[in-house]
Amino acid sequence: MTTMIAGDDVYAIAEDLFAAMVDGEPGTVRPWTLPLPDWTDPVHAWVDLHGDWSGRAVVTTERATADDLARALLGLPADEAVSEEDLQDAFGEVANVVGGNVKSLLPRTGTMGLPQVASVAPLLPGSALVTQVLLDWGGRVLELTVRDVP
Amino acid sequence: MRALVIDDSRTMRRIVARSLQGLGFETLEAEHGQHALDLLAEGPVPDLACVDWNMPVMDGLTFVGRARAEPALRGMTLMMVTTESEQSQIVRALAAGAHEYLIKPFTTDAVRDKLELLGLLPAEEHA
Repeated sequence: MTTMIAGDDVYAIAEDLFAAMVDGEPGTVRPWTLPLPDWTDPVHAWVDLHGDWSGRAVVTTERATADDLARALLGLPADEAVSEEDLQDAFGEVANVVGGNVKSLLPRTGTMGLPQVASVAPLLPGSALVTQVLLDWGGRVLELTVRDVP
Repeated sequence: MRALVIDDSRTMRRIVARSLQGLGFETLEAEHGQHALDLLAEGPVPDLACVDWNMPVMDGLTFVGRARAEPALRGMTLMMVTTESEQSQIVRALAAGAHEYLIKPFTTDAVRDKLELLGLLPAEEHA
């Protein structure tokens, strides 16, 4: 079974997430209008969705951006170092909120796995890109993708 | 007022606790449903438990069912705080005994609105 998840809907999820929990309303994220740059030190966070349709929601950004995102979510000062544990937890929670809300867009209720975080992109043989959204968060780019997993 | 925040994410526990503290609550935290039951067995029972759904060891729905079956916890209000936003999931949680349901992402204003509905807002927050 294939599914259609609109990029506009995924963007709206991200916009709500940043406005509510990162920046405060009305939020500061905008669509990224430039080509996606090559990642130099990426971090990927994802959750798997299971049900009539199986897929994966992935959030990718540079580690420095993920650090700033973790600081914002955890309420840490700008100059405080972010531990690997905090980075994994905070960035994983971003993927969790995105994935949970993507799941709500599906026609039937399914289940969702726990978030995972890694510096290497997760391998998904045979998967297909359903949608890709690029966010501009204060001049830094985040990539949100949803993939159909056979 | 005291609140127990149950979530496997330390980040989310901190965000929820920060909102509740801003509304006048004292908070304590648990990493999953079983951890929460262990804390509750030690007492005292808080006024409110904010419960995530997807957690390892014991998920939030199981926790709600266990808490509702325990007479000593009857006075504790249960609010799911989760990304599970489908109507069918909300119905399941309410049927299991949750009193309210808050979908992530949320603002502190949304938390305040839910607590006001539940009659759990400290007096100074009603002003």
